[in-house]
Amino acid sequence: MFEQMKELIGNYVDVNADDVTLDSKFIEDLGFNSYDFVSLLGEAEEIFGVQIEEQEVLNLHTVGDAIAYIEKLKA
Amino acid sequence: MNKASVKTLQDLVRLSAEEYGEKTFVREKDGNDISDKSFAQFYEDSRRVCSFVQNAANGETIHAAVIGPTSYAYLAAYFGTVIGGNTIVPIDAQLACADICELLVRADISIFFYDIRYTPMIPAIKAACPSIHTYVSLQSGEGAELSLPSVLEKYSPAEMTEIPEKTMASIVYTSGTTGKSKGVMLSHANFIDNAMCRDNESSPEDTLLTVLPIHHVYCFSCDILLSLRYGATICVNDSMMRIAQNLKLFQPTIILLVPMIAETIYKQIMAAAKAKQLPPAAVAQAVFGGRLKGIYSGGAYLSPELMKAYAELGIPVAQGYGMTECSPRIASSYLDDVSKGDVGTVVGGCEVKIEDGEIVVKSPSVMIGYYKDPEATAEALTPDGWLHTGDLGYVDEDRRVFITGRKKNLIILSNGENVSPEEIENKFAAVDIAAEVLVYAEDGFITAEIFPNAEACAEMSSEEIGEAFKKIITDINKTLTSAKMIRRLRIRDKEFEKTTSKKIKREQPEKGEMSIRL
Repeated sequence: MFEQMKELIGNYVDVNADDVTLDSKFIEDLGFNSYDFVSLLGEAEEIFGVQIEEQEVLNLHTVGDAIAYIEKLKA
Repeated sequence: MNKASVKTLQDLVRLSAEEYGEKTFVREKDGNDISDKSFAQFYEDSRRVCSFVQNAANGETIHAAVIGPTSYAYLAAYFGTVIGGNTIVPIDAQLACADICELLVRADISIFFYDIRYTPMIPAIKAACPSIHTYVSLQSGEGAELSLPSVLEKYSPAEMTEIPEKTMASIVYTSGTTGKSKGVMLSHANFIDNAMCRDNESSPEDTLLTVLPIHHVYCFSCDILLSLRYGATICVNDSMMRIAQNLKLFQPTIILLVPMIAETIYKQIMAAAKAKQLPPAAVAQAVFGGRLKGIYSGGAYLSPELMKAYAELGIPVAQGYGMTECSPRIASSYLDDVSKGDVGTVVGGCEVKIEDGEIVVKSPSVMIGYYKDPEATAEALTPDGWLHTGDLGYVDEDRRVFITGRKKNLIILSNGENVSPEEIENKFAAVDIAAEVLVYAEDGFITAEIFPNAEACAEMSSEEIGEAFKKIITDINKTLTSAKMIRRLRIRDKEFEKTTSKKIKREQPEKGEMSIRL
C-alpha cells in the first residue's frame, strides 16, 4: 500500500518518491494544501475500496497515519 | 421567471414550484441510491416545516439556527423558517462546540435544526443555551428526539400569508480574518435583489454541483437562489473528499469554486494527463464529467495564472467579487466575458464610488446592519446607505472592478505613507518556492514572512532557502517604490494559521525565525 500511496502523492506534489517516508507529514513536509489532502483521501477510497469517516481526517497527519487507518478499515 | 413578481424568498420558492414543477431541484446521494426532489415537492415540504416552526413558536416571530453540510433537509429547514417570516441563522459546520454555543446565545435562537452527526454535542448545547426550546435533527436516527422526516410526515403545508420584503430573513456570521465574528442581518429584499442583479446566467438545462459551505452567502445565493430562479438542478456534494467522484457521477454543467479547490482539481487533471499520456484538455473534460461549461470562482483572489491555465484546457473561469454584507455580489462575470485582472463587472442596481482608495457601494442588496452591534453598523454603513467594503481598488470605464488590497490591513509607515500588504504578497504568486506569504510591519520595517513550499525546496539547505528568498526579494523590491520595499524576511517551518474559510489570519500567534535583515 505504501508504494501505491507514494504514487498517489506524486499526483499532487512534485516530490521524489524515495523522499516520502511513513513519517512524512502531508502538509508540513510534502507541501499539500488542505484540499489536496482530502482529495487524496477521496482517491484512496476508490483505489482501496474503503469508506473514510470525515471525523477521522483530522487525526491523519503522516503518510503512516493514513496507511494504518486505511488498513484498519480494510481488515 | 418574471422578476417583478419576486419580492421575497417566499415568492421565489412558490414561483419556482409553479414554473418548474416536477423538474428536479435537488439531487443527492441516499445510501447507495440517488434521491431526486422536485421544485414542487420542495415548496410543499418547506410549507410543512413552516407549519411546524409556527406551531413551535406559538405564534411569535423567532430565530432558528441550522447547522450541517448541504442537504435537501437543510434547505427545507432553512426555507421552512424564512417563508413564514421567521429568521434563520446558518452556523459554520466547522466550528468547535463552544463557538457554536456562543453564536446560538448571541443570535437569540429558540429552535435548532442540526445534522445528526452533531448529536453528541447536543447535551453541551442544551446546558449552554437555555433559550433553545426545540431541537430537530435533520435526519432520523438514534438519539434524535425529533427529526425533520417526522415533521414532514406530521405537519400539513402551511397556508402562506404575504410577508413584508424588509423582514429580516437571516443573520449570517462572518468568519473574518481579524476580531470577533459579526452577525450580518439580511432581509428578503436583500437576497432577492442579489439573485436578480444579472440575467441569463443559467437555465433549466443546467446542473450544478454544490461544493461550498452552505452557511456562506456566496454558496447560498449563487448556488441555491439562482437555481430556484432559473430552474437548474442542484446536486449535493456529500464530502470534500469526494468532489472528483461526484463530478463524474453528477456531470454538472456549472460549478462554483473557491481558488484553492480549483487549484487542486487542476493538479489532478495534469497528473492524470501525464500518467495516461493524454491531452490535458481531454482529461479535463473527463474529470469534470464531460458536460462542464465553466467555473465561477469567488471567496478569495484567483490568480490570473490559474485562470489562464484553465482557459488552455478549454474551461472558462469567471471571477466574482462580493461580501456577506452585500448578499454577496458586487461584481461578477459571464463565462464568455471572463476577467482580465479584474474581479468582474459591477452588478445591476449597484452604485460604486471610491473614497480614499476604498470601494464604497450602495444597492438594495446591502444588509440591514450587524445584529445587536450598532457601533459596528455605524462604522460600516453611512446614514444614507453606503457600505464601506474595506477593500481598496478602483473601477474602470467599463465598470470592471479591480481590487488592490484590504483597507484594515494597510500598513501606515512613520512617514505617513500607506502600504497595502496584499499588493506585495501578490508579487509572490509566481514564486514556486513560496507556499504562503504574509506581509506586515515590524518595528516600522516592512517584513515578509514566508512558509516555503516543501517540494520545491526539497533539495535545499535552510541557508540556501534563505539566500534564494533574499534574491527573489531583491528582484521584487525593484518593482516597488522605496517606501514599500521589503526590509526584513522571516521564514517559518509551520503553515500559517487560517480561518475556517482557509484565509491566512493576519494575527498569527507565533512568528517565524528572523532570517535576514535586508
